[in-house]
Amino acid sequence: MNRVLLLMVMMSTTVLTAGLWIPLKAVVAQELLELAWAESQARQMETRPWPWADTWPVARLSLPELGQSMIVLEGAHGESLAFGPGQVLGNAAGPGPVVIAGHRDTHFSSLRHLEQGSELKLQTRSGRWYRYRVDNVRIVDSRHERIDTSQLDDDTLLLVTCYPFDGLDNRGPLRYVVEARSGQPPVVSNERDPVQIDTVAGL
Amino acid sequence: MLTSAVATPSRSAATRPIAHRAIRCMEGISLWLAFLLMLASHSMMAEAMEAPGQSEGAGAFHFVDSEGQWQEPATLLTTEYRVTVSALIADTRLRQSFKNTSQQWREGVFVFPLPENASVYALTMTAGERVIVGEIKERAEAKRQYDQAKKEGRRAARVDQQRPNLFTTRLANIPPGETVSVELHYQQAVRYQSGEFELRLPTTLTPRYMPGAPIADGPKQWQGGWATPTTQVPDADKISPSTVLPEDVGPDSHRAKVELVISAGLPIATVTSPTHGLTSTWNGDAVTVTPNDGDILMDRDLVVRWAPVRGQEPSAAVFHEQWRGEDYLLALLVPGLAQDRQLPRELIFVIDTSGSMAGQSIRQARASLLRGLDTLGPADRFNVIQFNSQTSTLYQQAVPADSYNLDQARRYVRNLTADGGTEMASALDVALGQGGTEQGEENANGHVRQVVFITDGAVGNEAALFAKIRQQLGNSRLFTVGIGSAPNMHFMREAARYGRGTYTAISDLGDVSGPLDELFGKMQSPVLTDIQPQWPDQQAVSESFPRRTGDLFKGEPMVQVTRGRAARGELTVSGRLPAGSRWQQALDLGQAAPGKGLHRYWAREKLDSLLDTGLSGHVDEDTRQAVTTLALDHQLMTRYTSFVALDKTPVRDTSTALETEHLPTLLPAGSQPAMLRYPQTATLSPLLVALGLLGLMFSSAALMVHRRVFA
Repeated sequence: MNRVLLLMVMMSTTVLTAGLWIPLKAVVAQELLELAWAESQARQMETRPWPWADTWPVARLSLPELGQSMIVLEGAHGESLAFGPGQVLGNAAGPGPVVIAGHRDTHFSSLRHLEQGSELKLQTRSGRWYRYRVDNVRIVDSRHERIDTSQLDDDTLLLVTCYPFDGLDNRGPLRYVVEARSGQPPVVSNERDPVQIDTVAGL
Repeated sequence: MLTSAVATPSRSAATRPIAHRAIRCMEGISLWLAFLLMLASHSMMAEAMEAPGQSEGAGAFHFVDSEGQWQEPATLLTTEYRVTVSALIADTRLRQSFKNTSQQWREGVFVFPLPENASVYALTMTAGERVIVGEIKERAEAKRQYDQAKKEGRRAARVDQQRPNLFTTRLANIPPGETVSVELHYQQAVRYQSGEFELRLPTTLTPRYMPGAPIADGPKQWQGGWATPTTQVPDADKISPSTVLPEDVGPDSHRAKVELVISAGLPIATVTSPTHGLTSTWNGDAVTVTPNDGDILMDRDLVVRWAPVRGQEPSAAVFHEQWRGEDYLLALLVPGLAQDRQLPRELIFVIDTSGSMAGQSIRQARASLLRGLDTLGPADRFNVIQFNSQTSTLYQQAVPADSYNLDQARRYVRNLTADGGTEMASALDVALGQGGTEQGEENANGHVRQVVFITDGAVGNEAALFAKIRQQLGNSRLFTVGIGSAPNMHFMREAARYGRGTYTAISDLGDVSGPLDELFGKMQSPVLTDIQPQWPDQQAVSESFPRRTGDLFKGEPMVQVTRGRAARGELTVSGRLPAGSRWQQALDLGQAAPGKGLHRYWAREKLDSLLDTGLSGHVDEDTRQAVTTLALDHQLMTRYTSFVALDKTPVRDTSTALETEHLPTLLPAGSQPAMLRYPQTATLSPLLVALGLLGLMFSSAALMVHRRVFA
C-alpha cells in the first residue's frame, strides 16, 4: 500500500513539475531572448537566441497599459510559442497585416485585460515603434473560420490566443482574437531612419 | 503505584487519538472540499468553452452565401483521359464535361493542369448532338470571338494557356440542366530513364504562392482566383482557382475516368504506379491500363511507370514521320556509362518549409532530405537551407560531413515544420550565392558543388526564378525533387534544366526511396558533357532541337528531333567525360521506325527554344511573331495562341441572365487547406498542474485514510 502511495506521489510530483516547467521556461526564455533581440537590433540581422533554435526574435510587443513587454519570435509552431509569442504573418515595417499568436497560459494570458481603445506598441528590428489601438475583441471558432489575410486591412495587428483563458483543454477550438489598427498605413521607407535602440545590449 | 503507572499512559493514549482524529477529520474534509471545488470549476470551464460556439463566419469564401452557409458548386465536372502511348510519344484525348444543375444559364470557368511538356493541338465542343470543331487563333482574337459569342447567347468554348502546365477552359451558355463537353487533344513525350518509362497525369494543382506586393489599383472583389495580382505575378488571379475538399463538391463531381493503351513497340514486363492501384491487360505487345477503383478522384497526379522485359531496354531508337511533304526524325540514344566517380562533393540541401508544404508534403520532404544526408561520405561537405517567408541556413558555410555535424543536421531536419510564404528567390540567392563563379566542375577546395532543391514548386513567378538560376548558377548544379500529390513539374523540369541538373518527384511517403536513390545515384556518377550530335548532312543543322543538348546523367537518354532530313545515313553523337576522355556513338538512321506526332514534337521543341531567349525579361516582337506563326502552322496552343470553338446559332435569349461560375479544384491529397488557420495557442501546463495537484491531494488523502484505518 505504501509503495503504491509513494509511486503515486512521485508520479503526481513529476506531472506537476512538468506543468510548472512550461511557464517557467516561458519566463526564462524571454530573458535569453532579450539578449538575442538586443544583438539582432545592434547587428541588424537575424540572431538566434541559441545555436540550435529554429526561430529568432522579430519584434518586441509592448502592452503599456498592463506594463508588459515581450519579444516576439518568428513562426507560430510549437517550438517558438513555448518561448514567446510567434509572428504568424507579416512584419510591422513591411506591407500587409501582422498576425501574432501566443499561448493563453503564458505570454498572452494578459490579453483578457485588453479592451477597445487599449494601446499596443510593436517595435521592429530597426528600432522603430509602431502604435496600434485595439479596435475590437472577439471569440472565434477555429473549426469554422480561417484567417482570411486578404480581407484584413494593411495596418491591422491581430493578436491570437486560445479561449477560454482558464481552460484545461489544450486543443480547444475557440480563439480569442484582438484586432488592433495603427490608423495610418506603415511607411516602408522609414526603416532607414536613425536607429534608436532602447534595449541594453548585454554583449 | 502499579495502577497509577498503568493509568497515566492509558489516559494520555486516550486523549491523543481524539485530538488526532479531529485534525485528520478536518484535513480529510478540507481535501475533499478542495477536490470537489476543482471538479466544479472544471465543469464551469467546460460550460464556458461551449457557450460562444456560434460566431459569424468572417472568412469570406466564394461558395458561402450571405447567411454563411456552404453552397455546393452548381456546375459539376467530370473528366475522361484516354491516353495512347506509341513508343516515346503519348497522345491524350481529354474530355471535360460540365453539367449545369442550376436553373440559370451558366458560364463555367475551370483552371486545370496538364503535363509540363504537353502540346495541345485540337479542341472540339459537344453539346447534345452538335459537335463543333475548334480552331486555333491568336489569343486576343480568340478572346474577342468568344466574348462576342457569349454575349449573343451562342455556345462557345475557349482554352487558354496560363503557364506551360496550367490552362483555363471557358464554356459559355450552358443551358440549365444540360451537359456540355470540351474535348482536348494533346501529346507529350514520355520520360525514359534507366530502362523505365514514366507518364504523369496531373489532375489538380497545389495552391501557389504569389510573391510581390499587391497591385494597388487592382480590383478588390472576387475575380475568379483567390489571389490578387501582385507586382511579380500580374496574372495571379488567373492561376489561383479556389481549392476545396472532395466533400465540398457534388458527389460525382471532380472524378476522372482514365484509360491508357501502351504500345511501346517492345514487350512490356511490368506496369506499376506509386499513386493508384492499376489493372493491366496484355494484348500482344499492347497493354491496356485502368485504375482499379474505376473513376479516380482528381486530388492527385496519376503516375504510371512501365518497364520492358529485362535485357530488352532500348538503348537507341529512330523514328520517322512525313508531314506536309517534310521529313521529321526523332533519335534517342542512351550512352552506356558505367563507372562511378568518387570526387568529393559539396552538397547543399534546400528544403521548402512554406505553408503549402504542410501535411504529408513536409513529411516527404524531411524523409528525402534525411535520405540525402545518408549518401554523404566522409570527404564531402554539406549544408541545409530552409525557406518559407524567410531563408535560414543551418550553418554559415558548408561543413564537413562528419558524424557530429550529420547528427546535428538530422535533428534539425526532423524538427522542420511548414508555415508561411514561398519566397524562393532569397533561398536561391543563398544556395547559389555561396558557390564560386569559376568555371569547371570543382570549386576552390576541389569539391563538386551540387544543390538539391526539395519543393512542391507552388509559386506563381517561375520565369523570374529560372532567370535567377541561369544568372547565378556559377559552377553549381541544381537538382530538383518534386514533393506532394500535385507538384509543379514545370518548375522541377525547367529549374533543373537551367541548373544543369536533373529532376525527380516523390508521389507518396512510401515512394521516397525509389526516385531518390535514382537521383542520388545520378549525382554520384559521371556526367556526360559537351554533347554534340553530328547529322549526316550539315546544311540543316539549324533545324535540330534541342539546340543545346544539356548534360546527360546516368541512365538518361539523349533525344534529338530534326526536320527536313530523310531517314538515311548515320547520326554520330560525341561527348566528354569528366576525366577528359571523349565518348562517341553512332546511330544508323536507315532503321527508322514510323512514328506519329513527330512534327508537333519538333514544333514544340522549337517553340521552347524560341521562348527561352525571352526568359530574362520581355519577349520581343520578332520572337512573339515567330512563335505565333509556328504555333498557328502546327496548330499548337502557346501563351500567344488559344483554341476557340463557336456555335453559329444562339441558344440563349439575350434577355435571360448568364452567371459565371469559377469551378474549384480539389485540394491535393494529404495537404492542408490554404487559408491561414488559427494556430494552436494553449499549452498542457494548466492540465498538468491540475493533474499533479489532484494526484498529490488524492495520495495525501489516501495516506491519511490509510493511517486512520491501520493506526
